[in-house]
Amino acid sequence: MIGQWVVTLAFFLHSSLRYRSAKNFVYNLLENNNYPYKKYFDYFMILLIFISVYILIRHVKHEMSQSWLTFNNYVISVIFLIEYLLRLWIYSDNAKAIIDQYENDLFLHRPFSLSHAMKIIVKQKLQFILSPSAIVDLLAIMPFFHELRLLRVFILFRVLKLFRYARSLRRLISILGSKKFELLTLALFALIMIMVSAVLIYVMEGNNPDSPINTLFESVYWAVVTIFTVGYGDMIPVTPEGRSVAMLVIVSGIAVISFATSIVVSAFTEKLDEIKEEKLIEDVRKLERFYLICGYSQLTNEIVHRLRKASKQIVILEKDPVKAKRAQGEGLFVLNFDSASLHTYQTIKIHFESQIIAVILLEESDVTNIYTALTIRELNKKVTICSILHKPDNRKKFSLAGIDEMVNPHELVGLMSKEISHQPVAFEVIHALRSELVGTVIEEIIIDRGMSERFYELLLHPLFHQRLSMLGIYQTSTETFMFNPDRTFEIRAGDVAIIVANRSLANEFKNLLHRKRVK
Amino acid sequence: MIARSAAVFGFNEYSRQIAYQIRNLYRDFGLFVVNEEEKKAAYEAGFLVELVDLSDDWHGIEKRFDVSSLIVFCALANDAENVFLTISLRATFDKLNIVALAQDNESAIKMKSAGADKVLPSLQIAANVIADMLEKPIVTKVLHEVLYESSLLNIVEIEVGENSPFAGRYLHDIHFKTHYDVILLAIVDHELGTTFSFASKGHNHHIDIGDILVVIGYPDKVERLKQAIKGQVWPRSE
Repeated sequence: MIGQWVVTLAFFLHSSLRYRSAKNFVYNLLENNNYPYKKYFDYFMILLIFISVYILIRHVKHEMSQSWLTFNNYVISVIFLIEYLLRLWIYSDNAKAIIDQYENDLFLHRPFSLSHAMKIIVKQKLQFILSPSAIVDLLAIMPFFHELRLLRVFILFRVLKLFRYARSLRRLISILGSKKFELLTLALFALIMIMVSAVLIYVMEGNNPDSPINTLFESVYWAVVTIFTVGYGDMIPVTPEGRSVAMLVIVSGIAVISFATSIVVSAFTEKLDEIKEEKLIEDVRKLERFYLICGYSQLTNEIVHRLRKASKQIVILEKDPVKAKRAQGEGLFVLNFDSASLHTYQTIKIHFESQIIAVILLEESDVTNIYTALTIRELNKKVTICSILHKPDNRKKFSLAGIDEMVNPHELVGLMSKEISHQPVAFEVIHALRSELVGTVIEEIIIDRGMSERFYELLLHPLFHQRLSMLGIYQTSTETFMFNPDRTFEIRAGDVAIIVANRSLANEFKNLLHRKRVK
Repeated sequence: MIARSAAVFGFNEYSRQIAYQIRNLYRDFGLFVVNEEEKKAAYEAGFLVELVDLSDDWHGIEKRFDVSSLIVFCALANDAENVFLTISLRATFDKLNIVALAQDNESAIKMKSAGADKVLPSLQIAANVIADMLEKPIVTKVLHEVLYESSLLNIVEIEVGENSPFAGRYLHDIHFKTHYDVILLAIVDHELGTTFSFASKGHNHHIDIGDILVVIGYPDKVERLKQAIKGQVWPRSE
């Protein structure tokens, strides 16, 4: 009967959207680093920890008001307790465990075993309760239960909770965790050394009235202070035998320290690339708008150079580690990932629509570029994809793969050669305008609401007359270019004007166009 | 002097495209390759080629073309060889119009030092077009149509000849936009050599015989301006 009731409840919870979304929300807030609001929760908890520690320190020599103490002992503790219980809740899915057990028993034609399902649930929850971070969480709640002075020290466990909220501290723990075996070996070695030297010094010095080391505790204290190369000097062996032991302990102490240092250093060295990569991915996620370039080559360098001039941010994906390293050496923002792999985008978790201005495919083969384009199109249909086209025959395949713009350098050079042959000066003029090397630029101005009336008026302004040429207006609605229109031509919001002028003059024109009145 | 003959050196993807684009523009066109492999590929693509040795005596070119009206495209696959070809041609012919193709900026500088009149840095060209395509899509589209496509709008160079009624006048006195419906982009001052200056700089330039005006406009309007510059149609009163 109870079993049936539990199963019904489990099915209800499992299918309840409200319950699922609540649990999902709590999970995101407590565990999901990509959840935008998690950081605010973390900051709040860190603040509580600092308040707690401040009250502890202040209370040593000063009287604290009862409200502060109540806040510390009860309010903060209750918040921590709630957090602990929520973590316990989201750690495993009880409803799923019950349903699995029920379906399993049903399949094997057995009566539903509630006790077995409960065992599984308790086992899962115990896994959480016995995890180091959960133990710290529990100890941090302890001041809530008792106001004994000794228990106040448990507040310090709240400081250890910082490991939960600060990502860099978690990273430190994970790095050291990778050297668990070495660190345990070192700890064992140090423990044996301490025990052996403590017993030896006790045997050598314990019965000597002139020696300050008289008890086993003092021996252990001396051994620890010596082996870790601190050597306060408050206790020193006086017998030749004791001093011999001291020499051995000092030498082995250096071994312990150097062993410990080398373990930590090697752990960091081994994880350095991983840390750098994680940091880069984090930085990419923080970028607002950027161009994503797939493939690093000399052409990439040239394009980056051009786009940086326009103050654009660029992220490069390059799967070859040697090339990626070279690109990093050039000061570029490079992720050593395969741009054609879906896994890459799942790992770096970039948001195509809000973050990427356009994707530029610059891999060395058309095959790879098509493959990458298809991968990106699988994730997003709208983002602009521009690609280098190595073989003109592949143009149609590129279109089918969803590539919006393609550039074939060979064709471009051919067309340019024709223009050079035909009209060398005209070619030079256009080339100079495009390369923006001579200070004169060709610019697009998107006409906003209310700008159209001012536009013609401004063209006749003494500052711009004879010094700024308007080539024409591109009508976005009809996708036609109106060359050299006169004042009767109606410019609509969203149309684009193309002007030729000195860069600073062009900027001034744009500024004045945006102002409400032309003086 | 306007070139009447053209020679392209090398046969690769670049030189193939150059040859396709320009072979019909010249009365005399020649394609030269430096090895048998290129020769075979060019034959297969339907080109008649001549095999040359880079260390050869270049005076054979003189026999084949009138060097004073020849334009040469150095488009060998290897940049170092291309530099060598450029310097060899320049050493032999002072006045030859040489256009050289360079893969990167470093080679482009060397080509220029080797005596090329014009260098086409292929990577930079592609990079500029890709960046413009994304940053200024409409400008790129319009310029591409004006330059390369068979659009009605043309960019044209017009030289101010002798007896031109434009000679002796000032730029600001001629209203290109309103009276001729063309836009003056730049002007090459005959006295200052071949360098051009943009009209948008605002200098009220004194037009002399031999100056070249670079204008954009529809063919009929450009033709009317040409006639006016020649003096066949008297310039409209400003």
